[in-house]
Amino acid sequence: MYLVANIDVEICASKSCKLCTQYCPEANTIQYSETMGTDKGYKYGTAYIAVDRCKGCALCVWVCDTMAKNNAIKMIMIDQLPLAAVTDNIRYEEKTTVAVLSNPMIVIGN
Amino acid sequence: MSLDYVKFSGGFEKFMPKEYRDMVEHGPFGKKISVSQMGSFKEILEEHPMCAGCAMTLFIRLAIIAFPNPEDTITVGTAGCGRLAISQAAIPFVYGNYGDQNGVASGLSRGLRLRFGDKPKDVVVMAGDGGTADIGFQQVLHSWFRKERFTTIMLDNEVYGNTGGQESGMTNRGAVLKMAPLGKKFEKMDMLQMAKVAGCAYVATVVPNNPRRVESVIKKAVLIAREVGSTYIQAYTSCNIEYAIPTDKVMEDAKTVENDRYQFTEYVSDEAKQYLTERYGYKDYLPKAAAPAAAIPNKA
Repeated sequence: MYLVANIDVEICASKSCKLCTQYCPEANTIQYSETMGTDKGYKYGTAYIAVDRCKGCALCVWVCDTMAKNNAIKMIMIDQLPLAAVTDNIRYEEKTTVAVLSNPMIVIGN
Repeated sequence: MSLDYVKFSGGFEKFMPKEYRDMVEHGPFGKKISVSQMGSFKEILEEHPMCAGCAMTLFIRLAIIAFPNPEDTITVGTAGCGRLAISQAAIPFVYGNYGDQNGVASGLSRGLRLRFGDKPKDVVVMAGDGGTADIGFQQVLHSWFRKERFTTIMLDNEVYGNTGGQESGMTNRGAVLKMAPLGKKFEKMDMLQMAKVAGCAYVATVVPNNPRRVESVIKKAVLIAREVGSTYIQAYTSCNIEYAIPTDKVMEDAKTVENDRYQFTEYVSDEAKQYLTERYGYKDYLPKAAAPAAAIPNKA
């Protein structure tokens, strides 16, 4: 197993700084969704990880902790994530993305 | 090279992979995109084999987003880590022999102008410090002296990263590397000064820990190169493998190096300032309003 980044929606959707989306070395790996935050009653949208693209560098953790001071991102073993976003289940809309969360082990395994 | 090359051929849309369909329908081609929208649109750069946490990859990602017209851009590179990512972008990429990237870009830029006339077709060279300052040095400098109209970007990781850690001209004096165990005995080359002496219209240093600045610098360099002359950007893009930087400390290192030897600098020639102002509406280079004259006391 290996580590991937995981974003706490509650923290992220109350700040919505989007810094992590600008610092990940991998393209389309830290995505942003308006509905993932606002649908749950939070003020803003939230960033989330396409775990199939995450290389586990934890650069985003430093950005979130040290630059943004939000402490919303933690590294977690991929098999400990019950639900996560993967590229095949991410849809692009006009100014946001929408992700259908699923068990990453099953999706990546397929 | 136009918006047409990213469209689907009739009847083939349903056979294209999801990533490609997303790029055509939700990518930056033909739109004004900025780094503040990252995470909300499909990027041109795809998955690549660069190391985890690589600052060079982050810079390349930002640079590609900053291209003013990605559908009218060709990138040119040479041997080195960077080409592993640049070649995974949906922009035509020319992979030159080691060190000849600025020679290739010179011919390409001239050819595109003959073929397309005044319609902007941007050529952007992205090569490492070895390809730019050592092995490609002759062709880089001569392209600048000839005022070839394209942008040269040095991805400066201060080492030959993917051949095991040999020192380059851009390595700092005293740096000890795997293949330079006694430490480098000479100073880091001053490519910025050489670019100015050779007549580049725009010269800037940048570090990827400021995405908006990277975007601004790349945009200006590419626009100036369309008509005014050569432009040069020198970007610090650390090699976390050869310099043993923990991946989660890569941006911390970038900040340290920025404060130490990579402060943001920008040189814009007068001609380039005038061009940016008149052609693209930049307000930064307008003459500053004269300070109000001090009141002259009335003589009693």
